[in-house]
Amino acid sequence: MKKQSKLAIALLVAFPISLLTSCSDDPKPTEDVAQVVEEVVEEENKSYYQIPSPDEMFGFIKESGLKYNSASLNPIQNITSYNDPKSQALNFGIYSADLAYTAAFEEYQESIKYFGSIQKLGDQIGLSAAFDKSLIERIQNNLDNADSLVAITNTSYFSVVDYLEQNEQGDKLGLVASAGWLETVYIAANTINYDKDKAAVERLADQKLTLDNLIAYLEKYSENTDVKEVLEMFKDLETTFAILNEVDSGTGISLKKKEGGKMVLGGGSSIKITKDQFEAIKAKISEIRNNIVKTEA
Amino acid sequence: MKHFYKKLILGLAILALPALSLAQYCNNFHDSYCEYSENEMYKPNGQSKSALFGKGQTSELSVIVYKGQDYRISLCMDENLGSGMEFKIYENKKVKVEKVTETKEMEDVYGKCSSCDGSGTTDGETCYDCNGSGQVATGEQKEVVSKQTSIVYEKQKTLLYDNTQDNLATELEFSVETTQRLTFEISIPNEGGSGKSSVSKGKGKLVKSSDMGCVGILIEHMTTPKTGFYGTGF
Repeated sequence: MKKQSKLAIALLVAFPISLLTSCSDDPKPTEDVAQVVEEVVEEENKSYYQIPSPDEMFGFIKESGLKYNSASLNPIQNITSYNDPKSQALNFGIYSADLAYTAAFEEYQESIKYFGSIQKLGDQIGLSAAFDKSLIERIQNNLDNADSLVAITNTSYFSVVDYLEQNEQGDKLGLVASAGWLETVYIAANTINYDKDKAAVERLADQKLTLDNLIAYLEKYSENTDVKEVLEMFKDLETTFAILNEVDSGTGISLKKKEGGKMVLGGGSSIKITKDQFEAIKAKISEIRNNIVKTEA
Repeated sequence: MKHFYKKLILGLAILALPALSLAQYCNNFHDSYCEYSENEMYKPNGQSKSALFGKGQTSELSVIVYKGQDYRISLCMDENLGSGMEFKIYENKKVKVEKVTETKEMEDVYGKCSSCDGSGTTDGETCYDCNGSGQVATGEQKEVVSKQTSIVYEKQKTLLYDNTQDNLATELEFSVETTQRLTFEISIPNEGGSGKSSVSKGKGKLVKSSDMGCVGILIEHMTTPKTGFYGTGF
Protein backbone atom coordinates (compact mmCIF):
# COMPACT_ATOMS: atom_id res chain seq x y z
CA MET A 1 0.00 0.00 0.00
CA LYS A 2 2.94 2.27 0.80
CA LYS A 3 4.26 1.72 -2.73
CA GLN A 4 0.84 2.55 -4.19
CA SER A 5 0.69 5.77 -2.20
CA LYS A 6 4.08 6.81 -3.51
CA LEU A 7 2.97 6.01 -7.05
CA ALA A 8 -0.19 8.04 -6.56
CA ILE A 9 1.76 11.07 -5.31
CA ALA A 10 4.19 10.78 -8.22
CA LEU A 11 1.29 10.64 -10.66
CA LEU A 12 -0.43 13.59 -9.03
CA VAL A 13 2.71 15.68 -9.52
CA ALA A 14 3.53 14.40 -12.99
CA PHE A 15 0.08 14.51 -14.60
CA PRO A 16 -0.42 18.27 -14.93
CA ILE A 17 3.15 18.62 -16.13
CA SER A 18 2.73 16.09 -18.90
CA LEU A 19 -0.64 17.59 -19.81
CA LEU A 20 0.82 20.98 -20.45
CA THR A 21 4.01 19.95 -22.12
CA SER A 22 2.71 17.34 -24.52
CA CYS A 23 2.18 19.75 -27.42
CA SER A 24 5.82 20.60 -28.02
CA ASP A 25 8.19 18.81 -30.36
CA ASP A 26 11.28 20.22 -28.70
CA PRO A 27 13.38 17.95 -26.54
CA LYS A 28 12.53 18.54 -22.91
CA PRO A 29 15.21 20.19 -20.82
CA THR A 30 16.25 18.05 -17.93
CA GLU A 31 15.11 19.44 -14.62
CA ASP A 32 14.64 17.88 -11.23
CA VAL A 33 10.86 17.71 -11.00
CA ALA A 34 10.97 16.62 -7.37
CA GLN A 35 12.25 20.07 -6.32
CA VAL A 36 9.42 21.93 -8.03
CA VAL A 37 6.67 22.89 -5.65
CA GLU A 38 4.31 24.54 -8.15
CA GLU A 39 2.89 23.43 -11.45
CA VAL A 40 5.57 23.53 -14.07
CA VAL A 41 4.72 24.20 -17.69
CA GLU A 42 6.82 24.33 -20.75
CA GLU A 43 7.15 27.76 -22.19
CA GLU A 44 7.73 27.99 -25.89
CA ASN A 45 8.45 30.97 -28.07
CA LYS A 46 5.82 30.99 -30.77
CA SER A 47 5.01 32.67 -34.04
CA TYR A 48 1.41 33.46 -34.93
CA TYR A 49 0.25 34.33 -38.43
CA GLN A 50 -2.84 36.51 -38.55
CA ILE A 51 -5.30 36.90 -41.43
CA PRO A 52 -7.37 40.08 -41.67
CA SER A 53 -11.08 39.28 -41.23
CA PRO A 54 -13.48 39.80 -44.19
CA ASP A 55 -15.11 42.93 -42.73
CA GLU A 56 -11.88 44.91 -43.13
CA MET A 57 -11.87 44.41 -46.91
CA PHE A 58 -15.63 44.93 -47.32
CA GLY A 59 -15.59 48.12 -45.22
CA PHE A 60 -12.85 49.37 -47.54
CA ILE A 61 -14.74 48.31 -50.70
CA LYS A 62 -17.86 50.12 -49.54
CA GLU A 63 -15.94 53.27 -48.67
CA SER A 64 -14.29 53.11 -52.11
CA GLY A 65 -17.75 53.49 -53.66
CA LEU A 66 -17.98 50.02 -55.22
CA LYS A 67 -21.46 48.67 -55.79
CA TYR A 68 -23.01 45.65 -54.09
CA ASN A 69 -22.86 42.61 -56.34
CA SER A 70 -25.16 39.80 -55.15
CA ALA A 71 -24.18 37.60 -58.11
CA SER A 72 -20.81 36.98 -56.46
CA LEU A 73 -22.30 35.31 -53.40
CA ASN A 74 -22.56 31.57 -52.95
CA PRO A 75 -26.31 30.81 -53.17
CA ILE A 76 -27.81 29.69 -49.86
CA GLN A 77 -29.52 26.68 -51.43
CA ASN A 78 -26.09 25.14 -52.15
CA ILE A 79 -25.74 24.37 -48.45
CA THR A 80 -27.45 20.98 -48.79
CA SER A 81 -24.67 19.80 -51.11
CA TYR A 82 -21.91 20.16 -48.54
CA ASN A 83 -21.92 16.82 -46.79
CA ASP A 84 -18.32 16.07 -45.84
CA PRO A 85 -16.45 17.84 -43.01
CA LYS A 86 -13.92 19.45 -45.34
CA SER A 87 -16.45 21.07 -47.68
CA GLN A 88 -18.59 22.04 -44.68
CA ALA A 89 -15.69 23.82 -42.96
CA LEU A 90 -14.61 25.53 -46.19
CA ASN A 91 -18.12 26.66 -47.08
CA PHE A 92 -18.64 27.83 -43.52
CA GLY A 93 -15.77 30.23 -44.25
CA ILE A 94 -17.30 31.14 -47.64
CA TYR A 95 -20.73 31.92 -46.12
CA SER A 96 -19.10 33.85 -43.24
CA ALA A 97 -17.48 36.17 -45.79
CA ASP A 98 -20.79 36.44 -47.67
CA LEU A 99 -22.48 37.43 -44.40
CA ALA A 100 -19.83 40.09 -43.74
CA TYR A 101 -20.36 41.41 -47.28
CA THR A 102 -24.16 41.63 -46.99
CA ALA A 103 -23.83 43.29 -43.57
CA ALA A 104 -21.29 45.85 -44.83
CA PHE A 105 -23.71 46.82 -47.61
CA GLU A 106 -26.73 46.88 -45.29
CA GLU A 107 -28.51 44.08 -47.14
CA TYR A 108 -30.40 43.16 -44.01
CA GLN A 109 -32.65 40.41 -45.35
CA GLU A 110 -29.71 38.75 -47.08
CA SER A 111 -27.70 39.01 -43.85
CA ILE A 112 -30.25 37.12 -41.84
CA LYS A 113 -30.40 34.40 -44.52
CA TYR A 114 -26.62 34.02 -44.59
CA PHE A 115 -26.47 34.02 -40.81
CA GLY A 116 -28.96 31.13 -40.89
CA SER A 117 -26.68 29.28 -43.33
CA ILE A 118 -23.57 29.60 -41.23
CA GLN A 119 -25.53 28.58 -38.15
CA LYS A 120 -26.70 25.44 -39.98
CA LEU A 121 -23.21 24.57 -41.23
CA GLY A 122 -21.80 25.47 -37.81
CA ASP A 123 -24.04 22.86 -36.21
CA GLN A 124 -22.80 20.25 -38.67
CA ILE A 125 -19.12 20.88 -37.95
CA GLY A 126 -19.48 21.17 -34.19
CA LEU A 127 -19.53 24.95 -33.87
CA SER A 128 -23.02 25.35 -32.47
CA ALA A 129 -21.55 26.42 -29.13
CA ALA A 130 -20.04 29.45 -30.86
CA PHE A 131 -23.53 30.76 -31.68
CA ASP A 132 -25.41 31.36 -28.48
CA LYS A 133 -29.03 32.45 -28.32
CA SER A 134 -28.19 36.03 -27.33
CA LEU A 135 -26.11 36.44 -30.49
CA ILE A 136 -29.01 35.30 -32.68
CA GLU A 137 -31.41 37.60 -30.81
CA ARG A 138 -29.02 40.54 -31.18
CA ILE A 139 -28.88 39.98 -34.94
CA GLN A 140 -32.66 39.83 -35.21
CA ASN A 141 -33.06 42.96 -33.07
CA ASN A 142 -30.55 44.97 -35.05
CA LEU A 143 -31.67 44.28 -38.58
CA ASP A 144 -32.28 47.97 -39.23
CA ASN A 145 -29.03 49.24 -37.73
CA ALA A 146 -26.11 48.97 -40.16
CA ASP A 147 -23.32 49.65 -37.65
CA SER A 148 -24.71 47.19 -35.12
CA LEU A 149 -25.24 44.54 -37.76
CA VAL A 150 -21.60 44.80 -38.91
CA ALA A 151 -20.44 44.73 -35.28
CA ILE A 152 -22.58 41.68 -34.49
CA THR A 153 -21.56 39.73 -37.59
CA ASN A 154 -17.96 40.48 -36.60
CA THR A 155 -18.70 39.20 -33.13
CA SER A 156 -20.04 35.96 -34.61
CA TYR A 157 -16.92 35.55 -36.77
CA PHE A 158 -14.58 36.32 -33.87
CA SER A 159 -16.50 34.00 -31.55
CA VAL A 160 -15.99 31.16 -34.03
CA VAL A 161 -12.27 31.95 -34.25
CA ASP A 162 -12.12 32.12 -30.47
CA TYR A 163 -14.04 28.86 -30.05
CA LEU A 164 -11.75 26.98 -32.45
CA GLU A 165 -8.63 28.42 -30.80
CA GLN A 166 -9.90 27.52 -27.33
CA ASN A 167 -10.60 24.00 -28.46
CA GLU A 168 -7.26 23.71 -30.22
CA GLN A 169 -8.82 23.11 -33.63
CA GLY A 170 -6.27 25.16 -35.54
CA ASP A 171 -6.66 22.89 -38.56
CA LYS A 172 -10.38 23.59 -38.83
CA LEU A 173 -9.74 27.28 -38.23
CA GLY A 174 -7.24 27.17 -41.09
CA LEU A 175 -9.92 25.84 -43.44
CA VAL A 176 -12.51 28.39 -42.28
CA ALA A 177 -10.14 31.38 -42.39
CA SER A 178 -8.60 30.47 -45.75
CA ALA A 179 -12.01 30.02 -47.41
CA GLY A 180 -13.23 33.24 -45.78
CA TRP A 181 -10.26 35.10 -47.19
CA LEU A 182 -10.70 33.48 -50.61
CA GLU A 183 -14.38 34.49 -50.81
CA THR A 184 -13.43 38.02 -49.77
CA VAL A 185 -10.88 38.40 -52.56
CA TYR A 186 -13.23 36.63 -55.00
CA ILE A 187 -16.01 39.15 -54.33
CA ALA A 188 -13.52 42.04 -54.48
CA ALA A 189 -11.95 40.85 -57.76
CA ASN A 190 -15.38 40.40 -59.34
CA THR A 191 -16.57 43.83 -58.23
CA ILE A 192 -13.53 45.88 -59.16
CA ASN A 193 -13.16 47.63 -62.48
CA TYR A 194 -9.40 47.72 -63.14
CA ASP A 195 -9.56 50.98 -65.07
CA LYS A 196 -11.68 52.86 -62.53
CA ASP A 197 -11.08 51.50 -59.04
CA LYS A 198 -7.38 52.22 -58.51
CA ALA A 199 -7.38 51.98 -54.71
CA ALA A 200 -9.34 48.72 -54.72
CA VAL A 201 -7.02 47.26 -57.38
CA GLU A 202 -4.04 48.11 -55.15
CA ARG A 203 -5.76 46.50 -52.18
CA LEU A 204 -6.24 43.33 -54.22
CA ALA A 205 -2.56 43.32 -55.21
CA ASP A 206 -1.63 43.73 -51.53
CA GLN A 207 -3.31 40.40 -50.85
CA LYS A 208 0.00 38.89 -51.98
CA LEU A 209 1.26 39.66 -48.45
CA THR A 210 -1.87 38.30 -46.78
CA LEU A 211 -1.53 35.11 -48.81
CA ASP A 212 2.01 34.70 -47.42
CA ASN A 213 0.59 34.74 -43.89
CA LEU A 214 -2.21 32.37 -44.83
CA ILE A 215 0.21 29.85 -46.30
CA ALA A 216 2.49 30.13 -43.26
CA TYR A 217 -0.53 29.45 -41.04
CA LEU A 218 -1.72 26.46 -43.08
CA GLU A 219 1.78 24.98 -43.14
CA LYS A 220 1.61 24.65 -39.35
CA TYR A 221 -1.31 22.25 -39.77
CA SER A 222 -0.27 20.54 -43.00
CA GLU A 223 -0.22 17.12 -41.35
CA ASN A 224 -3.99 17.24 -41.62
CA THR A 225 -4.96 15.83 -45.04
CA ASP A 226 -7.71 18.40 -45.66
CA VAL A 227 -5.40 21.28 -44.77
CA LYS A 228 -2.69 19.81 -46.98
CA GLU A 229 -5.05 19.74 -49.98
CA VAL A 230 -6.16 23.33 -49.38
CA LEU A 231 -2.53 24.38 -48.91
CA GLU A 232 -1.72 23.02 -52.37
CA MET A 233 -4.53 25.16 -53.87
CA PHE A 234 -3.20 28.27 -52.16
CA LYS A 235 0.37 27.53 -53.23
CA ASP A 236 -0.94 27.42 -56.77
CA LEU A 237 -2.49 30.85 -56.20
CA GLU A 238 0.79 32.06 -54.68
CA THR A 239 2.51 31.23 -57.97
CA THR A 240 0.04 33.49 -59.77
CA PHE A 241 0.57 36.30 -57.26
CA ALA A 242 4.34 35.87 -57.60
CA ILE A 243 4.24 37.55 -61.02
CA LEU A 244 3.45 40.90 -59.36
CA ASN A 245 6.37 43.28 -59.06
CA GLU A 246 7.44 44.96 -55.87
CA VAL A 247 8.63 48.47 -56.63
CA ASP A 248 10.94 50.20 -54.19
CA SER A 249 9.91 53.74 -53.28
CA GLY A 250 13.55 54.78 -53.07
CA THR A 251 13.24 55.71 -49.42
CA GLY A 252 13.79 53.06 -46.80
CA ILE A 253 10.86 51.90 -44.72
CA SER A 254 10.35 53.82 -41.49
CA LEU A 255 7.85 54.33 -38.70
CA LYS A 256 8.41 57.82 -37.37
CA LYS A 257 6.68 60.97 -36.30
CA LYS A 258 5.74 63.43 -39.02
CA GLU A 259 4.32 66.95 -38.85
CA GLY A 260 1.61 67.17 -36.26
CA GLY A 261 3.25 64.44 -34.20
CA LYS A 262 1.49 61.62 -36.00
CA MET A 263 3.39 58.38 -36.43
CA VAL A 264 3.54 57.30 -40.07
CA LEU A 265 4.65 53.98 -41.56
CA GLY A 266 6.03 54.93 -44.95
CA GLY A 267 8.67 54.20 -47.56
CA GLY A 268 9.73 50.69 -48.45
CA SER A 269 8.25 48.90 -51.41
CA SER A 270 4.76 48.58 -52.82
CA ILE A 271 3.20 45.95 -55.06
CA LYS A 272 2.24 46.88 -58.62
CA ILE A 273 -0.28 45.07 -60.79
CA THR A 274 -0.95 45.36 -64.53
CA LYS A 275 -4.33 44.72 -66.16
CA ASP A 276 -3.19 41.35 -67.51
CA GLN A 277 -1.89 40.34 -64.10
CA PHE A 278 -5.18 41.46 -62.54
CA GLU A 279 -7.12 39.27 -64.96
CA ALA A 280 -4.82 36.30 -64.35
CA ILE A 281 -5.21 36.58 -60.59
CA LYS A 282 -8.97 37.06 -60.87
CA ALA A 283 -9.21 33.91 -63.03
CA LYS A 284 -7.12 31.83 -60.63
CA ILE A 285 -9.08 33.04 -57.57
CA SER A 286 -12.36 32.24 -59.35
CA GLU A 287 -11.12 28.77 -60.34
CA ILE A 288 -10.17 27.81 -56.78
CA ARG A 289 -13.25 29.39 -55.21
CA ASN A 290 -15.65 27.79 -57.70
CA ASN A 291 -14.03 24.45 -57.02
CA ILE A 292 -14.82 24.87 -53.30
CA VAL A 293 -18.45 25.98 -53.69
CA LYS A 294 -19.32 23.58 -56.50
CA THR A 295 -22.29 21.29 -55.99
CA GLU A 296 -22.93 17.89 -57.45
CA ALA A 297 -25.14 18.22 -60.56
CA MET B 1 -8.62 -0.80 -3.58
CA LYS B 2 -11.36 0.36 -5.96
CA HIS B 3 -12.03 3.24 -3.63
CA PHE B 4 -8.36 4.22 -3.76
CA TYR B 5 -8.29 4.41 -7.59
CA LYS B 6 -11.53 6.39 -7.65
CA LYS B 7 -9.90 8.91 -5.33
CA LEU B 8 -6.80 8.94 -7.52
CA ILE B 9 -8.82 9.70 -10.68
CA LEU B 10 -10.76 12.43 -8.89
CA GLY B 11 -7.49 13.93 -7.67
CA LEU B 12 -6.04 13.91 -11.18
CA ALA B 13 -9.15 15.58 -12.55
CA ILE B 14 -9.06 18.32 -9.92
CA LEU B 15 -5.38 18.94 -10.55
CA ALA B 16 -5.92 19.06 -14.31
CA LEU B 17 -8.60 21.75 -14.11
CA PRO B 18 -6.43 24.78 -13.31
CA ALA B 19 -3.90 23.64 -15.90
CA LEU B 20 -6.53 23.49 -18.62
CA SER B 21 -8.22 26.73 -17.67
CA LEU B 22 -4.90 28.59 -17.44
CA ALA B 23 -4.27 28.09 -21.15
CA GLN B 24 -7.87 28.73 -22.17
CA TYR B 25 -8.74 31.76 -20.14
CA CYS B 26 -6.25 33.81 -22.12
CA ASN B 27 -8.45 33.59 -25.21
CA ASN B 28 -10.05 36.97 -25.78
CA PHE B 29 -7.98 38.49 -22.95
CA HIS B 30 -7.28 41.50 -25.20
CA ASP B 31 -11.00 42.16 -25.58
CA SER B 32 -11.52 42.40 -21.83
CA TYR B 33 -8.32 43.97 -20.58
CA CYS B 34 -6.63 46.02 -23.30
CA GLU B 35 -7.86 49.59 -23.49
CA TYR B 36 -10.02 50.47 -26.49
CA SER B 37 -9.65 53.85 -28.15
CA GLU B 38 -12.06 56.59 -27.17
CA ASN B 39 -12.22 57.52 -30.84
CA GLU B 40 -15.35 55.78 -32.12
CA MET B 41 -14.01 55.75 -35.67
CA TYR B 42 -11.68 52.91 -34.67
CA LYS B 43 -13.04 49.40 -35.27
CA PRO B 44 -11.71 46.19 -33.69
CA ASN B 45 -9.35 44.39 -36.03
CA GLY B 46 -9.58 40.62 -36.47
CA GLN B 47 -5.82 40.25 -36.14
CA SER B 48 -5.91 41.02 -32.40
CA LYS B 49 -4.57 38.16 -30.29
CA SER B 50 -4.16 36.89 -26.75
CA ALA B 51 -1.81 34.19 -25.53
CA LEU B 52 -0.31 32.61 -22.46
CA PHE B 53 3.19 33.88 -21.69
CA GLY B 54 5.86 33.09 -19.15
CA LYS B 55 8.49 35.44 -17.79
CA GLY B 56 11.42 35.54 -20.16
CA GLN B 57 9.34 34.46 -23.13
CA THR B 58 9.32 36.10 -26.54
CA SER B 59 6.66 35.49 -29.18
CA GLU B 60 5.86 36.97 -32.56
CA LEU B 61 2.65 37.97 -34.28
CA SER B 62 2.72 38.48 -38.03
CA VAL B 63 0.06 40.96 -39.21
CA ILE B 64 -0.87 42.84 -42.37
CA VAL B 65 -1.40 46.61 -42.24
CA TYR B 66 -2.98 48.26 -45.27
CA LYS B 67 -2.23 51.50 -47.04
CA GLY B 68 -4.67 54.31 -46.22
CA GLN B 69 -5.54 52.94 -42.78
CA ASP B 70 -4.74 54.14 -39.27
CA TYR B 71 -3.93 51.47 -36.73
CA ARG B 72 -3.95 51.58 -32.97
CA ILE B 73 -2.14 48.95 -30.91
CA SER B 74 -2.96 48.48 -27.25
CA LEU B 75 -1.08 46.00 -25.07
CA CYS B 76 -2.15 44.45 -21.80
CA MET B 77 -0.97 41.64 -19.51
CA ASP B 78 -1.61 39.92 -16.21
CA GLU B 79 -0.06 41.67 -13.22
CA ASN B 80 1.97 38.65 -12.14
CA LEU B 81 4.08 38.95 -15.30
CA GLY B 82 5.67 42.13 -13.97
CA SER B 83 5.39 45.80 -14.65
CA GLY B 84 6.23 46.14 -18.30
CA MET B 85 6.52 44.26 -21.55
CA GLU B 86 8.85 44.90 -24.42
CA PHE B 87 7.25 45.50 -27.77
CA LYS B 88 9.04 45.73 -31.08
CA ILE B 89 7.76 46.15 -34.62
CA TYR B 90 9.69 44.74 -37.56
CA GLU B 91 9.09 44.92 -41.26
CA ASN B 92 8.92 41.29 -42.34
CA LYS B 93 9.86 41.01 -45.96
CA LYS B 94 10.63 38.29 -48.45
CA VAL B 95 13.58 39.41 -50.50
CA LYS B 96 14.50 37.97 -53.89
CA VAL B 97 18.07 36.81 -53.76
CA GLU B 98 20.19 35.39 -56.56
CA LYS B 99 21.83 32.32 -55.13
CA VAL B 100 24.86 30.84 -56.81
CA THR B 101 25.46 27.18 -56.04
CA GLU B 102 28.92 25.78 -56.74
CA THR B 103 29.25 22.10 -57.48
CA LYS B 104 32.66 20.44 -57.56
CA GLU B 105 33.11 17.19 -59.48
CA MET B 106 36.06 15.09 -60.52
CA GLU B 107 36.23 14.44 -64.26
CA ASP B 108 38.48 12.29 -66.40
CA VAL B 109 41.14 14.15 -68.31
CA TYR B 110 41.16 13.33 -72.01
CA GLY B 111 44.02 13.70 -74.33
CA LYS B 112 43.81 14.29 -78.08
CA CYS B 113 44.32 11.30 -80.26
CA SER B 114 47.24 13.03 -81.80
CA SER B 115 48.98 12.88 -78.48
CA CYS B 116 48.52 9.13 -78.54
CA ASP B 117 50.07 7.44 -81.56
CA GLY B 118 49.39 9.22 -84.83
CA SER B 119 46.27 9.17 -87.05
CA GLY B 120 43.13 7.03 -86.85
CA THR B 121 39.92 6.74 -84.72
CA THR B 122 39.09 6.32 -81.06
CA ASP B 123 36.65 3.98 -79.34
CA GLY B 124 36.03 4.85 -75.72
CA GLU B 125 39.31 4.88 -73.92
CA THR B 126 41.11 3.02 -76.65
CA CYS B 127 42.94 5.02 -79.25
CA TYR B 128 43.21 3.43 -82.71
CA ASP B 129 45.32 4.95 -85.41
CA CYS B 130 44.63 8.51 -84.27
CA ASN B 131 44.01 11.17 -86.94
CA GLY B 132 44.08 14.10 -84.56
CA SER B 133 40.33 14.60 -84.04
CA GLY B 134 39.58 11.94 -81.41
CA GLN B 135 40.10 11.91 -77.63
CA VAL B 136 41.42 9.33 -75.27
CA ALA B 137 41.38 9.06 -71.48
CA THR B 138 44.75 9.84 -70.01
CA GLY B 139 43.98 8.09 -66.73
CA GLU B 140 44.22 11.37 -64.84
CA GLN B 141 41.35 13.31 -63.20
CA LYS B 142 40.77 17.03 -62.66
CA GLU B 143 38.40 19.05 -60.43
CA VAL B 144 35.62 20.80 -62.37
CA VAL B 145 33.60 23.56 -60.69
CA SER B 146 30.15 24.27 -62.12
CA LYS B 147 28.04 27.24 -61.02
CA GLN B 148 24.24 27.28 -61.00
CA THR B 149 22.28 30.47 -60.41
CA SER B 150 18.80 30.28 -58.89
CA ILE B 151 16.34 32.79 -57.42
CA VAL B 152 15.41 32.18 -53.80
CA TYR B 153 13.39 34.19 -51.29
CA GLU B 154 14.96 35.08 -47.98
CA LYS B 155 13.27 36.60 -44.97
CA GLN B 156 14.52 40.04 -44.02
CA LYS B 157 13.60 41.82 -40.79
CA THR B 158 14.01 45.55 -40.25
CA LEU B 159 13.40 47.05 -36.81
CA LEU B 160 10.87 49.90 -37.04
CA TYR B 161 9.83 50.53 -33.45
CA ASP B 162 11.05 49.56 -30.00
CA ASN B 163 9.04 50.58 -26.96
CA THR B 164 12.12 50.36 -24.71
CA GLN B 165 13.06 53.63 -26.45
CA ASP B 166 9.57 54.98 -25.71
CA ASN B 167 9.19 54.46 -21.93
CA LEU B 168 7.76 50.95 -22.45
CA ALA B 169 4.64 52.49 -24.01
CA THR B 170 1.66 50.13 -24.20
CA GLU B 171 -0.22 52.12 -26.83
CA LEU B 172 0.79 53.11 -30.31
CA GLU B 173 -1.08 54.76 -33.17
CA PHE B 174 0.20 55.10 -36.71
CA SER B 175 -0.93 55.77 -40.28
CA VAL B 176 0.11 53.44 -43.09
CA GLU B 177 1.33 54.82 -46.42
CA THR B 178 2.30 51.50 -47.99
CA THR B 179 0.81 48.09 -47.20
CA GLN B 180 3.24 46.05 -45.14
CA ARG B 181 3.59 42.69 -43.49
CA LEU B 182 4.76 43.50 -39.97
CA THR B 183 5.98 41.35 -37.14
CA PHE B 184 5.00 42.38 -33.63
CA GLU B 185 7.45 40.94 -31.14
CA ILE B 186 6.40 40.74 -27.50
CA SER B 187 8.88 39.92 -24.75
CA ILE B 188 8.13 39.53 -21.08
CA PRO B 189 11.31 40.34 -19.20
CA ASN B 190 12.62 38.19 -16.42
CA GLU B 191 12.91 40.08 -13.17
CA GLY B 192 15.94 42.30 -13.62
CA GLY B 193 16.48 41.51 -17.28
CA SER B 194 15.21 41.46 -20.79
CA GLY B 195 12.95 38.77 -22.18
CA LYS B 196 15.31 37.89 -24.96
CA SER B 197 18.48 37.44 -22.98
CA SER B 198 17.30 34.42 -21.03
CA VAL B 199 15.45 32.44 -23.67
CA SER B 200 16.86 31.04 -26.83
CA LYS B 201 14.39 31.16 -29.72
CA GLY B 202 12.33 28.11 -30.50
CA LYS B 203 13.48 26.22 -27.42
CA GLY B 204 11.14 25.42 -24.62
CA LYS B 205 12.01 26.05 -21.00
CA LEU B 206 10.26 25.15 -17.81
CA VAL B 207 8.64 27.89 -15.75
CA LYS B 208 6.43 27.92 -12.69
CA SER B 209 2.75 28.62 -13.28
CA SER B 210 2.95 31.62 -10.96
CA ASP B 211 5.39 33.13 -13.47
CA MET B 212 2.84 32.79 -16.24
CA GLY B 213 -0.03 34.96 -17.32
CA CYS B 214 -2.00 36.31 -20.23
CA VAL B 215 -0.81 38.87 -22.73
CA GLY B 216 -3.15 40.63 -25.13
CA ILE B 217 -2.56 42.69 -28.26
CA LEU B 218 -5.61 44.67 -29.25
CA ILE B 219 -5.49 46.03 -32.78
CA GLU B 220 -7.97 48.64 -34.01
CA HIS B 221 -8.18 50.24 -37.43
CA MET B 222 -9.94 53.02 -39.30
CA THR B 223 -9.60 54.77 -42.63
CA THR B 224 -6.98 57.51 -42.32
CA PRO B 225 -8.98 60.72 -41.89
CA LYS B 226 -8.53 63.22 -44.70
CA THR B 227 -7.39 66.59 -43.43
CA GLY B 228 -7.68 70.02 -45.04
CA PHE B 229 -10.24 71.39 -47.48
CA TYR B 230 -11.56 69.04 -50.15
CA GLY B 231 -13.78 69.68 -53.18
CA THR B 232 -14.17 72.86 -55.20
CA GLY B 233 -16.74 74.50 -52.93
CA PHE B 234 -18.23 77.82 -53.88
